[in-house]
Amino acid sequence: MDRLTLEVIRGAAAYISEEMGVVLRNTAFSPNIKDRHDHSCAVLAPWGELVAQAEHIPVHIGSMAVGVENALKELRRAGEDLGPGDVLVTNDPYIAGTHLNDVLMIKPVYHQDSLVALVASKAHYVDVGGAVPGSIGGARELIQEGLVIPPVKLVEEGRLNRWLLDVLRANVRTPEIFEGDLRAQLSSLEVGARRVRELAEKYGGEVLVEAWRWILDYTERYTRNTIRDLGVEGSWEAEDYVELQDGSLRRIKVKVTISGGGVEADYTGTDPQVEEPINAVLGVTVAASTFALKTVIDPEMPVNHGFFRAVKVYAPPGTLLNPRPPAPVAAGNTETSQRIVDVVHKALHQALPDRVPAASCGSMTNLMLGGEGWAFYETIACGQGAGPWGDGMDGVHTNMTNTLNTPIERLEQEYPVLFTKYELRPDSEGPGKWRGGLGVVRALKILSEKAVLTVVGERCSTRPWGLHGGRPAPPALYLLKREDGRVERLPCKATRVVGRGDEVIVKTPGGGGYGDPCERSRDLVLKDLMDEKISRERAEREYCWSGSPRGPPT
Amino acid sequence: MVRLGVDVGGTFTDFVAYDPRIGKVYSWKSPTTPLRPWEGVLEGIRRGGVDLGQVEVLVHATTLGTNLFLGQVGLEVPGAALITNEGFRDVIEIGRQNRPSLYNPRVRRPPPLIPRRWRIGVKGRILSTGDELEPLDVESVRRWASRLCGEGVRVFVVSFLHSYVNPSHERLAASIVREECPEAVVVLGSEVDPQPLEYERTSTAVVNALLHPTLAAYLERLQDGLRRLGFRGVLLVMQSNGGLSGVEVALRMPAAFIESGPAAGAVGVAYLSMLLGVNRALGFDMGGTTAKASSIIEGEPLTVGSFEVGGKVHMGRPVPGSGYPVRYPHIDLAEVSAGGGTIAWVDPGGALRLGPISAGADPGPACYGKGGSDPTVTDANLVLGRLPTVLAGGLKLSVELAWKALREKVAGPLGMDVYEAALAVVGLANNLMARALRLVSVERGLDPREFTLFAFGGAGPLHAVEIAEELGVGRVVVPPYAGVFSALGLLFSDYRHSLHAPINRRASELSPGDLEQIFQDLEKRADKMLEAEGVPGERRVFLRYVEARYEGQAYTLRIPYPGTPEAAARAFEEAHRSRYGYTHRSPIVLALARLEAIGRVEKPRLRPPTGVEAHTSKREVLFREGWFEAEVVKRESFPKGYTSRGPMVIEAEDTTILVPPRKAVRVGGLGEVVIEVG
Repeated sequence: MDRLTLEVIRGAAAYISEEMGVVLRNTAFSPNIKDRHDHSCAVLAPWGELVAQAEHIPVHIGSMAVGVENALKELRRAGEDLGPGDVLVTNDPYIAGTHLNDVLMIKPVYHQDSLVALVASKAHYVDVGGAVPGSIGGARELIQEGLVIPPVKLVEEGRLNRWLLDVLRANVRTPEIFEGDLRAQLSSLEVGARRVRELAEKYGGEVLVEAWRWILDYTERYTRNTIRDLGVEGSWEAEDYVELQDGSLRRIKVKVTISGGGVEADYTGTDPQVEEPINAVLGVTVAASTFALKTVIDPEMPVNHGFFRAVKVYAPPGTLLNPRPPAPVAAGNTETSQRIVDVVHKALHQALPDRVPAASCGSMTNLMLGGEGWAFYETIACGQGAGPWGDGMDGVHTNMTNTLNTPIERLEQEYPVLFTKYELRPDSEGPGKWRGGLGVVRALKILSEKAVLTVVGERCSTRPWGLHGGRPAPPALYLLKREDGRVERLPCKATRVVGRGDEVIVKTPGGGGYGDPCERSRDLVLKDLMDEKISRERAEREYCWSGSPRGPPT
Repeated sequence: MVRLGVDVGGTFTDFVAYDPRIGKVYSWKSPTTPLRPWEGVLEGIRRGGVDLGQVEVLVHATTLGTNLFLGQVGLEVPGAALITNEGFRDVIEIGRQNRPSLYNPRVRRPPPLIPRRWRIGVKGRILSTGDELEPLDVESVRRWASRLCGEGVRVFVVSFLHSYVNPSHERLAASIVREECPEAVVVLGSEVDPQPLEYERTSTAVVNALLHPTLAAYLERLQDGLRRLGFRGVLLVMQSNGGLSGVEVALRMPAAFIESGPAAGAVGVAYLSMLLGVNRALGFDMGGTTAKASSIIEGEPLTVGSFEVGGKVHMGRPVPGSGYPVRYPHIDLAEVSAGGGTIAWVDPGGALRLGPISAGADPGPACYGKGGSDPTVTDANLVLGRLPTVLAGGLKLSVELAWKALREKVAGPLGMDVYEAALAVVGLANNLMARALRLVSVERGLDPREFTLFAFGGAGPLHAVEIAEELGVGRVVVPPYAGVFSALGLLFSDYRHSLHAPINRRASELSPGDLEQIFQDLEKRADKMLEAEGVPGERRVFLRYVEARYEGQAYTLRIPYPGTPEAAARAFEEAHRSRYGYTHRSPIVLALARLEAIGRVEKPRLRPPTGVEAHTSKREVLFREGWFEAEVVKRESFPKGYTSRGPMVIEAEDTTILVPPRKAVRVGGLGEVVIEVG
């Protein structure tokens, strides 16, 4: 096949996955998808290797590959096949690779009776049933996190399985929104399939399949060459911790090995799985490891299965990073994934100090709230870690997530809540020559008689670390202010029944600092002081500030 | 009387003048002076030898980036402050909390336009229903306004939560600010953009407020300079919606001017397509560094409701979070890094890549012989025999240098021969551009096979037919003055104002009278604007649109308003089905009423070609099908009604048109070259 056709098909695959994402977002019903874009779309080779994925949510990207492969395996085991006009659905984390909220759909694309590709999408549904509105938190086993959908055909030969849809609707808190999102997802698959079919009609099905192979080989070659060009070989270890509901810590340990144009992340030494949602299924572990490696090796490198071929991820079964059913896993996806990035970065920093930033806040900070007939879910920004290249960004989503915030006006229109604050959190940065980004404060009052509030976060007792003399950032702080004035400091993972007038205040951590804070440019310290991003007291204590706006002390 | 168009770009300022007495269009370029852009404009006018006393209308557009405009223009940016709700002063800094690059921690968001110390939170709160929860703390507004005014702040943005439903707090605060600081510019979120979503609305207000003084000062200096050179005509400003506006009105929405340049090409296509009776046109503009695609339906370019000022583009799509959002109609352009100067290279995985780096004007493509050693799209075209070896203006192109660059940087590493490499580079460029055209057609639910492709820009007509084949487009039109057609679009533009009012109610609950009232109110406002610009009543045209969605969705589809809410709902369902393939049972909400108010202006008249006999020679050209001896014709020599067949290369002063073998060509009555692709 000629070079040009290959390049054209490669470009087209990326373009198709983008277009699928646009359709999904434009037609979805839940603010989590329509406003926050918590979804991802992909084109895969017929055998399940990921060819192209729109850059949406990192945790979806790595796990999509694992998920599709597993789901197809399950289907074959049942003696079934995906025929033209079928759509497979599953949200079983042990198959789909993230958590129950992420519903994975796969549609085969046929051209002249042969399978030429798969298109797939994953979207975070705001509620999939389970113990708490929003379905994340509080569970001791998977079944408490919501409805488990094994790989089944939602659409068979073009006909939507109405009975299955009724079962799904009956098991979630907001069935209308659930169905709206589900139809949006189906529509995005339909558009993706149509576009791939057009490609097949133009170039031929066999050419398309051959192109997928070439694209994957090419990316693998690209990745291996880039890894060799790093000019380092060896093994480096690092560890960090995640927090349980009672505040006790569990260890995540990694050994990263670079050799012969490949990288391996081995999590031997990580603590055993727990009866809490903090376990991360292997799909999440793979996604987070590959994300962290890519940011350091080459952020611009193409992402597909060819990249995964050059990267090996191993986590011993029965541990936090590769649990066995029926361990609950909802927060592994959002929280533990962030810690995996932290440990991989920490290990790689020893090998490639100029390429690795200090820890970002290390949490997605999940806030869920729901009552009769409503449920809302969001994740809250925090501070980015500083790097040798400059300050971390303030109030931004870091590493494994890049969802948008939900506009306050939208939330107040659609839910019985009143926001009282959404601002940067002063003094929450990790001090350094380059400082970490600030976390945020997000606070709201409940306006309904009764609702269930769940928070799931991290870094309540540990802190996002600094590098090269940069300091750690202060931890997260969650407060529940009752209508009668009582204030409770919530643990990082908590569920409470709340009522009218109660106020929840979430303060997210900042990012770690880089370099000695006393070497920070005095102009920058002054600017932060004037902008009330840091207090005078903190400037004096952490940055050797003595009131003079002139250059750094020598 | 002469009409003059001026487009200030990053490197060059383009001028185009039309003199109706002799029916001729003149165009020329002169360097942009980024620090003092008005000087470049005045100098360029002098250089072009235009007698400003004869100029009746001067139309001005710019593609200067906002950062350039704000940061480098030698005009002082006054201090600006934001007054907003207590507890929410960081809304414009946090934005939508996303980062522009997923993987690269070094890529940062653009810094907030108003520093935190000048973002003030005051007590007072309106609910989503429009009810007041807490009265505005007027004393606090007064204190801050007086203090900030004392510190030199001269621009105030007032933006409160839910002001789109109840603007009373904003209006009250604004009146206090005006009392305390009479000389200040005060901009309200509810006036600039009365729609929900606090970040986007506030950002729209902030961007416009900040640009206001700079733009006002710039236009004032320009007008002074023009007057000194004897200009007594009208200065008009192009906007991102493709319309003209007087200076006064333009100052209400300065961001629309800052991003106006690229719109002109689409406007030119809109006008020409109507003259030619073409209902569906794709605009394709390829220059030195980028190619731009647009869709035009029945003489109206498609628009999007918002854009990010200073934002980045990836694969033709804007990168969210890379710029400052502004909600104002913007001609829907997909831009890709594929121009004549775009560099081809081989990446570490052994794939052929194109761009985004461009050789620019200096050193330019390798064949310019100015020291460039990287192969560009122009080099590939030259090697294929598709370009003349001497460009109009006398620039000699070296086939040898082009050959060498292609061999060393592409053919060698990929193990192919140079001709094959050149075909691959051109093919890749064509594919990128075809993708941009798909973005503005297929992705909008439009079938490109029903369109005619209008190709212009220095390089567009060279690639157009092959791209048309890729898209299944049946016909290509190369307009007269193709090389400067984008600038010419400035002279084809009408006055245009985009107004909107919120509806936010179910279609089933609305009566035709409700909407009639809303539209009439908008038309009254538009009438006043056009009146002020001196557009006579019979030249005013109002186009009514509604934006609709299913209850529960966030994104709306825009449809021409068919006269009743019920018909609008049906039209929406049809649009939803054609775009997304299905419909819902949910109620349909009419979210927004939009009015496009147009004031028609006189356009330059395009004359038939005046050649007597086509002047031809022969050259070997490599097409995808192989080598052919192509006829080479000078465009200027075409007589009216000329017809022929490819393989053919048509050389004009400002562009080159490639006609592949067997394709039929004819020259139309306006000098347009029409190629039947089949």
